[in-house]
Amino acid sequence: MSTTTLAEVDVDPSETAARGKGAKFAWISGFRSPKTIVGIVIVVFFALVAIFGPLLVTTDPSAVSFNVLLPPSAKHLLGTTHTGQDIFAQMVVGARISMLVGFVAAVLATLLSLIIGLAAGYLGGIPDELLSLVSNIFLVIPTLPLVVILAGALPSTGSLSITIVISITAWAWGARVLRAQTLSLRKRDFVEAARATGESTFRIIFREILPNQTAIVAATFLSTVIGAILTQASLAFLGLTDVTEWSWGGILYWAQNSSALSFGAWWWFVPPGLCIALLGTALSLINFGIDEFINPRLRLAGIATKKGAKKALTRLQAPKQPIRGPRRQARRTGGLGSFTRGDVILEVKNLTVDYTSASAPVHAVDDVSLTLRRGQVLGIAGESGSGKSTLAYAITRLHRPPAEITGGELIYTNRDGSTVDILKLTDRELTDFRWEELSIVFQSAMNALNPILRVGAQIEDAIAAHRPDMDAQGRSDRVRELMGLVGISIDRVSAYPHELSGGMRQRVMIAIALALDPEIIVMDEPTTALDVVIQRQIVEKIMELKDRLGFSVIFITHDLSMLIELSDEIAIMYAGRIVEVGSAQEFYRNPKHPYSQGLLGSFPTLSGPKKVLTGIVGAPPDLRSLPSGCPFRTRCPHAFDACATIEPVLLPLPTVEVPSANELRSVSCHLYDPELTRVPALAEGVAK
Amino acid sequence: MKAFLRRGLFYLITAWAAITLNFLLPRLIPGDPVSRMLARFHGQLGPNAVFALRKLFGQTSDNIWVQYVDYWNRLFHGDFGVSFTSYPTPVTTIIGQGLPWTLGLIGVCTVLSFVIGTALGALVGWKRGTWVDSFIPVTTFLTSIPYFWFGLIVVYIFALQLHWFPLSGGYTPGIQPGWSPEFVGSVVQHAILPSLAIIVSSIGYWLLGMRNMMITTLSEDYVLLAQAKGLSKRRVLTTYAGRNALLPSLAGFALSLGFIVGGSIITEVVFNYPGIGYALFQAVQGQDYPLMQGIFFIITIAVLAANLVADFLYVILDPRTRQEA
Repeated sequence: MSTTTLAEVDVDPSETAARGKGAKFAWISGFRSPKTIVGIVIVVFFALVAIFGPLLVTTDPSAVSFNVLLPPSAKHLLGTTHTGQDIFAQMVVGARISMLVGFVAAVLATLLSLIIGLAAGYLGGIPDELLSLVSNIFLVIPTLPLVVILAGALPSTGSLSITIVISITAWAWGARVLRAQTLSLRKRDFVEAARATGESTFRIIFREILPNQTAIVAATFLSTVIGAILTQASLAFLGLTDVTEWSWGGILYWAQNSSALSFGAWWWFVPPGLCIALLGTALSLINFGIDEFINPRLRLAGIATKKGAKKALTRLQAPKQPIRGPRRQARRTGGLGSFTRGDVILEVKNLTVDYTSASAPVHAVDDVSLTLRRGQVLGIAGESGSGKSTLAYAITRLHRPPAEITGGELIYTNRDGSTVDILKLTDRELTDFRWEELSIVFQSAMNALNPILRVGAQIEDAIAAHRPDMDAQGRSDRVRELMGLVGISIDRVSAYPHELSGGMRQRVMIAIALALDPEIIVMDEPTTALDVVIQRQIVEKIMELKDRLGFSVIFITHDLSMLIELSDEIAIMYAGRIVEVGSAQEFYRNPKHPYSQGLLGSFPTLSGPKKVLTGIVGAPPDLRSLPSGCPFRTRCPHAFDACATIEPVLLPLPTVEVPSANELRSVSCHLYDPELTRVPALAEGVAK
Repeated sequence: MKAFLRRGLFYLITAWAAITLNFLLPRLIPGDPVSRMLARFHGQLGPNAVFALRKLFGQTSDNIWVQYVDYWNRLFHGDFGVSFTSYPTPVTTIIGQGLPWTLGLIGVCTVLSFVIGTALGALVGWKRGTWVDSFIPVTTFLTSIPYFWFGLIVVYIFALQLHWFPLSGGYTPGIQPGWSPEFVGSVVQHAILPSLAIIVSSIGYWLLGMRNMMITTLSEDYVLLAQAKGLSKRRVLTTYAGRNALLPSLAGFALSLGFIVGGSIITEVVFNYPGIGYALFQAVQGQDYPLMQGIFFIITIAVLAANLVADFLYVILDPRTRQEA
């Protein structure tokens, strides 16, 4: 089961789709951001000036006159030099050399980076060692002095020589980045596949690897242009280029050598630097667009505002508007409410979580209601992308943008019977509440532990944050106690996460979750990353601790067999909704929803009779374009006409008598709706 | 330890490559550079200097290996030849005079701009999505500024127009150099403008890098867990997000040092600062090849040493690198 799919859905649904299409040039879409457009406009402007400007300027930039050191005027837009040369003409003509050297040097350097980066990354082994060594040497050696001695050694200081010298010293960074990228691409499936089918190395590099690096190549190229223009300016300023050839750096050289400063002739030295900086800024702005494509986290940064979260919370206070089209109204009064018993500790009521970054909001968790009882385990199962992890994060209010809670309640019952809606807690109250009453164990302990902090300290700081009065000795004792509880030897307290095995790290996570003796622990696939033997140890540990300490657990996994074994009650999620709820035993004996039947039919039992493994046809649905009516109908073997038109809602099964709350079942399926028996043959077929 | 030895070996190889480049470059110059130079200095150079010059450009009867060994031999004896422009001052003397100034100015400024830029970058990354994001276009602009040009601007504004600071030089002429308060005060006063130019134009580089790393780190699970645990913002920002985001920044610092230092030393030219950047400028102007070589050598060694320090810090900050095999 791919946990990465889930993670991607959790980050941004549109991201997966964009990548999924194999859109190798999708990064160009980054050019739509206003920042990038400003950048492009400026670069195009300077490019036009460089190309056509010298043809349009009638004044000879080198022509001397008696109008010396004139400040800017209508006749001399940027004033004149100490020999009466027109600075505006110099700027326009100089744009050509500055940009030409910058861009040509960057093209050459990027080509070098590509050759060396691709070769090193693809060939690996000794060629890689050698090429990496050479590029690292070029990176570490101070560029400018190197260019200076190179340029000093040249017989000619024309623009071409300078361009070549700059490109020789500017390729190393790009080569390093491209090497790393090639290394990671080389291990991808499509490259492995191409190699297995016997494609030539040349073809693999140019057909499979290179097209996937266009974004990075473009980013490297643009930053090299900036570097090259700056280097050219420095060299010209030092007098290492042919300063009779006008360039922006050359103008600065003459300004410096003619004491423009002491004449106070600001109009002489301000424009060249300003143009260089503007052009550099514009190129960087374009690069921001590309960067945000390469690293989507940067793009989300803009949305990750407190404002967004506040907005969502205030919306919760407002009366809820119906979001979608026709949906069956729950006719039986109480609905899930009839589940409640005196020992309810957490009630999730109509919780809805949306992803707001896409053009239309996507309901990752859609109107979910669940009940957790004291000392029990509520299991939630579903495929990747069903919204189960999003639900776990939402319950702890740890969901991250673009996820947003747009509706519902999270009613927590204190020991004294008073209740509180977790969604209505202020930030301060939430900080106090969380971990004290409700904690969470993340999926991957490796990612959830701070790699540079000793594990003992990571348990201890949770205690210190909530128990400011406890002294160091008390905290240390508690850390030791916790480590004993989860079965880690005390001497590992000063170990770093990387020094522990996967199972040990997950134990540390559980110790952290237990630190303040919470009432509820949400466990989001706590064993997924572990091997089967360790999984069992961890699950047994959790169950042992639960019985000993009496906390309640919301256990989320895709491993239905494990879930049935350890849960009291099970909820099945599909496309962000709960499609079936019931006691684990009842559910296992007699799954009602066709999706649950499919899930149970997709793994073998160890003890039961032999059966044909069926599985579920098709793939999890795209949340942005769910089918009308029941979201499962396109994969459902029993779908009938009503399924396409009416959205089913979770309803208690009418056929079950009500001896105890634990045996109550709810299903979201038209097959069990007595009012929708228009095609009875199918429904009976399921019952058999 | 193994990783450390590997790095050490890498620096040795890099130093060797730079030194060998220094040896080879003059020999690759086409034509007869020695005659060209002798013509330019018409007769000012003594026979010893002419001999040294021929040696430098490989115009001796020895084969290239003998020359190479001889080159290393002179290097180990601290013999970088004689400067043409300040003939007959040895190159080492000129470098010796300039180095303390450059180490003081460029060294302090580079470290300061890294520290300030990284700290600001961490804050801007932390407060992403708020008004602080408007810093980004400004810092982008600052990173695209040629260092020396910004030097011209600050001189124009603060020295020429406002007369707040001295125009140029490293200290007021006439004061006896030494540890007198008068001299130190004068040095500090003269260093403020160049420092401002260097720090302002290099700070954005670190700020933007750290901001991006910070944003990437903030979406790590361990930061989320730290917030969930109810830790103070300060602890999440420093111990969880900041320290982890700093690691790549520090690695980047080591690699970018060569670029930054190269840019900064030119700033000395604008201020006529008595460091080796200004000496390099004068060497270029006078085509003083031995001096250029000597300066390139010393800057490379300084950058490598700084890299070593950065590596050492990295090892202190990241326990994963300390793992014994």
